[in-house]
Amino acid sequence: MEFFKNPNINFVGAMKVAFAISVVLVVASAITLIAHGGPRLSIDFTGGSVLQVRVDPVPEVAALRSTLEGMGYEGVQVTEFGSQDEFLITFPNRDVSVETMDAAQILLNDLREGLDGSDIELRREESVGPKIGGELRTAAMNSVVAALALIVLYITIRFVFRYGIAAIFALVHDVTLTLGVFSLMNFEISLQIIAAFLTIIGYSLNDTIVVFDRIRENMKLRRKESYRQVINRSINECLSRTVLTSLTTFFVSATLYVLGGPVIHDFAFALCFGVVVGTYSSMFIASPILVWWYERRIGDKKRMALDM
Amino acid sequence: MNRSLQIRAGLTVVILLLSIYGLLPTFKALSIPAAEREAAQDNPERLAEIAEIDAKAIRRGLDLKGGMYLVLEVDQEGMNASEAEDALLRVKEILYNRIDKFGVSEPEITTFGSSRIVVKLPGLQDPERAKTLLGKTAKLEFRMVRPQDEIPGVLEKVDELFVSDSPAAAADAAAVDDLPAVETATPEETATALADSAAADTAASPFGDLGDLPGGEDSLAAADEAYLKEHPFTGLLVIQQGLLPSTPLFVLDRDAERLQALLDDPRIGRKLRTVEFQMEMDPIDFGQGQMLRPVYLVDTKPILSGDQLTDALSANNPDRPGFWQVNFTLNGRGARTFAKVTGENVGRYLAISLDGRISSAPVIQGKIPSGSGSISGNFTNNEANDLALLLRAGALPTDVYIAEERTVGPSLGSDSIRMGVSAALYGSILVIIFMLLYYRLSGVVTVLALVSNIIILMAILAQFDLVLTLPGIAGIILTVGMAVDANVLINERIREELRKEKTIRASVQSGYANATRTIVDANVTTLIAGVILLWFGTGPIKGFAVTLSIGILTSMFTALVMTRVLMEFSTRNQGKKKMSI
Repeated sequence: MEFFKNPNINFVGAMKVAFAISVVLVVASAITLIAHGGPRLSIDFTGGSVLQVRVDPVPEVAALRSTLEGMGYEGVQVTEFGSQDEFLITFPNRDVSVETMDAAQILLNDLREGLDGSDIELRREESVGPKIGGELRTAAMNSVVAALALIVLYITIRFVFRYGIAAIFALVHDVTLTLGVFSLMNFEISLQIIAAFLTIIGYSLNDTIVVFDRIRENMKLRRKESYRQVINRSINECLSRTVLTSLTTFFVSATLYVLGGPVIHDFAFALCFGVVVGTYSSMFIASPILVWWYERRIGDKKRMALDM
Repeated sequence: MNRSLQIRAGLTVVILLLSIYGLLPTFKALSIPAAEREAAQDNPERLAEIAEIDAKAIRRGLDLKGGMYLVLEVDQEGMNASEAEDALLRVKEILYNRIDKFGVSEPEITTFGSSRIVVKLPGLQDPERAKTLLGKTAKLEFRMVRPQDEIPGVLEKVDELFVSDSPAAAADAAAVDDLPAVETATPEETATALADSAAADTAASPFGDLGDLPGGEDSLAAADEAYLKEHPFTGLLVIQQGLLPSTPLFVLDRDAERLQALLDDPRIGRKLRTVEFQMEMDPIDFGQGQMLRPVYLVDTKPILSGDQLTDALSANNPDRPGFWQVNFTLNGRGARTFAKVTGENVGRYLAISLDGRISSAPVIQGKIPSGSGSISGNFTNNEANDLALLLRAGALPTDVYIAEERTVGPSLGSDSIRMGVSAALYGSILVIIFMLLYYRLSGVVTVLALVSNIIILMAILAQFDLVLTLPGIAGIILTVGMAVDANVLINERIREELRKEKTIRASVQSGYANATRTIVDANVTTLIAGVILLWFGTGPIKGFAVTLSIGILTSMFTALVMTRVLMEFSTRNQGKKKMSI
């Protein structure tokens, strides 16, 4: 079986259209993000508590919410979680005090009192104090920035600097779009999602580097072709591999999304989305940026003189 | 077969066999049915056997096993560096004692940074109780109750302190004087009341004039606001002789938190120095629907504290059936001090204070030489047990706050395993079918590599005692998807070489040679992301970084070494025949 027999798709020719689409998508993501007042951070970063409870007999979400509101809880979010009888109760930590544990415990006790006669099982509780929340936020930012910096460094060492810059453009593109989709769907950015982002960065790069590697090889082999031709040829030669690997990675991410359970749902969603944009960006963003760079900055004539 | 191929083949076989061997305990542990584990609880021998198998099996994270992850912040305010470090280590030691007595298997307690302690309690059944046990300071102190005639003067001082707080309140206070007398107890009246009662000794009915207490109906009614402004502290109190012999001061239960906030003000300590107020831990029902907490004026310096206890046990409270108490025994030095103080103060009251709240204040009827006593309160059996446990383990040297908590119930943990494993299984099956369809016979080699990859990865987890979490399972699943990448790169290369009309053997050779560099470059970047996650992530996220990073390394091994052995071996004598790829 073979998906493509000697493909010759004009990826570089589609560059302008692809850039236009990407710019629109990135701008759209930025607009959603701004409209929602930045990414919706989970209690991991803002401080607060999440309670996952199973209630029997099953109440309406609205009933749960009004029970809590009736008891004076403000800013409490109640959502169904995974199955019919499970609920996620999230509330921010407005208190400056570091003692968050009592807040969650008191809420649970109040809920048990308010829903007298119902059986409430605490399946999961997560509480993060504001201090640790702030630290995690800094650590998450640092980790993403550090990952990007190290990757540019690595590519610069293994290739040349312009390849690193092209790769970073693609990565920022991928992360922005994923952030945009999360904002659009009103999903929360939690620690898990940051892990997903880093994985997307790693994966998208994986794809990009395979193509870059082929470009470097073809630059040496095909000295008579223009940059445009060499780069387009390289993307085409890698096409089978790109599609195959993307498919298998997408398969496993999708199984995780469908079967992995609600706890890991958003994480799996981020991976699925990331695989798609990561694949797109390595074919339509990263490599064409190289074409643009070469043609604008270096010019085809000097091609033979280059060290690659 | 050439020498290099032989060596590589040998290496592959050895690694695979070692991995399978390393995974045997995990399979054994998985094959023990839950019922048998349950039954083994009564059979220590079998229990030890199971524990030994479990110890060698892959360790499940708290999110899969159920359990509690806590980050505790140790209050080090006002300590210098060495005191702070000392406090941190002391807290860790005491927490360890408490958890040890609480009976959690394989607890983990580590210090993190200079002021935090991370506690992991796997398989915990009662998180609420664990939190109370860990967070409680459990500072037990014996303090003498001050004579009642000192109370009015002290109240006045405290009121002055809080009135001077806000200039507005002070200004208002002047106006209050012109108002018709409000039926409340002013310090002067209190003094008179105290003097009167001292003379008369007993009131006719202890509950007689409860209705006339300040705010008898509504403690903070509008009329009282004015008085409260002038006497911010006394205004919160209910002053009533005859209810209790030990103190005339009370606070309505609903005002207790408000009073505690004032009591916690550090300025009180600076102003009063040798004495302080403490309220009782439980409210008392005096029969008119009013729940009151007695408030005591006690010495700041304790005569004894909990560090002089040798033992504490819960027992039935003989005076109050249905309630429990904690009986304690003091050590030699403590017992001597206790005997001396009780001997010198017969007729006075001795308050037993726990974490700044009084549990009881009995009268000293005579010298107590035995060095034993009891702490009573509205304790249930469990509460008394826990308190005894805390007293035995020792008090924390400073306050401890829970800064982060992640608790997963056991039912969610097993649900997560079930879902994670089924996702891994079906994901792998999908990839395997796809590879077989796409590469046919060479696909078999890829599938072998994939399965070996998972086996080696799991064996490394078991061998190095790494923790498998739900995101960790996700990492394995992702590895399956991405590990294929290396094989795809190789196979696509071989196809390309074959198209150039090379022999099968030559195509395989140059396919591997050309793909290796790409594979290394592409994987290093994912590894960078993985290592950064390892550095930044905590708990479950770390588990993801672990499996992802190890998975990348093992997949490079299986793709570049193992499949190459298989491919070279199976194509060693083939010329220009058609290859199944």
